Amino acid sequence: MSEPNTPDTPQENAVTPEVPSGPYVYDYAASPQRQIVMPKTVPLPSLKTYQAEVVAAAAADEAKWQKQLADFEVAKAKAEAEGKDAPKLPVRAVPRKDDNDMKTPWPVEAKDADLLKLQELLGDKVEEIFEQAGELVCQVKKEAILDALKVCRDDVSLKYEMLADQSATHYPAAKDFAFSVVYHLTSISRCKRLRLRILIPEGFSPESACSEYPSANWMEREIYDMLGIRFLNHPDMTRILCPEDWEGYPLRKEYPTVGWGQRDIDFREDRGGVLNRLAMEKAGQMGINLKQPKAD
Amino acid sequence: MFKNEEMEINLGPQHPSTHGVLRVKLRLDGETVTHCTPVIGYLHRGVEKICENKTYFQGQVWTDRMDYVASISNNLGWAEGVEKLFGIEVPRRAKYIRTMLTEQNRLASHLLWLATHALDIGAMTVFLYAFREREYLLDLFEAFCGARLTTTAFRIGGLREDLPPGFIKKAQAFQDLFLDCVDEYETLLTENRIWKKRTIGVAKLNAEDCIALGVTGPVLRAAGVPYDIRKAFPNAAYAEMDFEIPTRTEADTYARYLVRLAEMRQSHRIIQQCIDGLPEGPVMAKIPKILKSEVNEVYHPIEAPKGELGYYFVGEKGGLNPYRMHVRAPSFVNLQALPKMIEGRLLADVIAAIGTLDVVLGEIDR
Repeated sequence: MSEPNTPDTPQENAVTPEVPSGPYVYDYAASPQRQIVMPKTVPLPSLKTYQAEVVAAAAADEAKWQKQLADFEVAKAKAEAEGKDAPKLPVRAVPRKDDNDMKTPWPVEAKDADLLKLQELLGDKVEEIFEQAGELVCQVKKEAILDALKVCRDDVSLKYEMLADQSATHYPAAKDFAFSVVYHLTSISRCKRLRLRILIPEGFSPESACSEYPSANWMEREIYDMLGIRFLNHPDMTRILCPEDWEGYPLRKEYPTVGWGQRDIDFREDRGGVLNRLAMEKAGQMGINLKQPKAD
Repeated sequence: MFKNEEMEINLGPQHPSTHGVLRVKLRLDGETVTHCTPVIGYLHRGVEKICENKTYFQGQVWTDRMDYVASISNNLGWAEGVEKLFGIEVPRRAKYIRTMLTEQNRLASHLLWLATHALDIGAMTVFLYAFREREYLLDLFEAFCGARLTTTAFRIGGLREDLPPGFIKKAQAFQDLFLDCVDEYETLLTENRIWKKRTIGVAKLNAEDCIALGVTGPVLRAAGVPYDIRKAFPNAAYAEMDFEIPTRTEADTYARYLVRLAEMRQSHRIIQQCIDGLPEGPVMAKIPKILKSEVNEVYHPIEAPKGELGYYFVGEKGGLNPYRMHVRAPSFVNLQALPKMIEGRLLADVIAAIGTLDVVLGEIDR
């Protein structure tokens, strides 16, 4: 920041040492920890995507199997022509099973009465509706989120009284949206939970849920603070955790994990080396050879 | 000569009775609070961002640093949330041990609350009594996992180790003396005239406001709503436990005090059931060493001592770390209710209100 002191007298000029090339790197691009790896996939749980994936995987598997069979026929014909032994029959690969105590929860069709009711009440405002890991998920159009929240709170057969949590996720690899905002609703009287979800593009401001659920106030401020999504008609759309003059939105994927202006020392490598050397020395003093035998 | 104008003062962030680095901007008319704005973020470390760059196994270490007085509850939420994401079924013995430790941690958290809350209001003695029992519990945690506060007690899929030899005996010894200790705290406070004057009718928050503002935990139960996630959405081994949800209807600081004391007795009951019915068997599920998630999102709430603690995970295909991790911290949401509780009340009640909300700033700022 400050300019280097320019020597006033020629005497000082004579003894000015050279700037040591220390381990400190201030170059933004050269720092290994500042290299941000942007996600390439869009991990948005969805029944439609899952079903499409399953169909595509089955088709790819079938194609591979057909190719294996065709290759086998070719090899067999070739072996017969050359008078050699016939090649082995190909074996179809079995899909990998889940481990003993693990049962991956895949999205399934919505069967719960609440979801069906919601589908009936909201009609074409619903984009997607499914269950996964025992949780009810309903994705609605981004303009209709306030209507959906109203329905969830006021309908006598739904009665989701509390907005337990609100959060958002950044999907930089997605094409037609940038964020998903999720609302976790709780029905205290009926012991039920529901997740509402909207997908919004960069720069879009969804309606604030504060008018329906006052608890959204701080949660939306946190979302704004962390991801830069501004909510319309929010009473106080300011930063909450970061200082008011903070630049950038920390939970976006392009935000670096090392702080601005922090020295970029690879502590892990340095510390590991020192500790390793100390351990070797100590072991050597105790007469233990920790060094790995060299390969012959 | 005397101007009638409002004065603005800052309570905190370095104030002993704000339980951490909480700053409350107050506008006062004489001694009456007319406007209150909590200012938070002084302890913000970006836990969510850090956990997105750590594997599912490493991230649990960070949950200790959020609510550092109830770290085992946080560990439970993390472990169970990740298990839900992967669809892991935990052995029954591990569930029992988890339940027992979480309840002991609830006791430790409530004891710290009782000690500091009473200290804030002016009852010094309770602090010494409550910390005596808390020490015993922290020693138990140390015996189990080697740490008193930053426990990282559980592993994804169960526990790293079974209970150490002699743990049950020590836990039982604590059980035998603890109920008398709760009675002891009660003799110091429950009928104490000063305590009652400072707490009855103070910082009221009725059930509608609680639900609208998302307030959970003992504050909600003291307003007469019997909502406890251990009963409503049972996790760990709570479905097999026999306990009650203590509620009061007064919705003031005194009612919350009584609810928390009753909760301690219920926790004692749950721990006793865990000790008596501890099943035999393995403590770790058979899962791969390296966990790779599929595309999935889960929200897993548990009943932490302060209220609903929720973990929201988004997993990506083949991901070693969560694509997105979000914590619904009970104190964060509960603190929203502070202006509602104290506006129009006296300045001295602000301290009681902060104490009765039982906020932990490590969890609010994350």
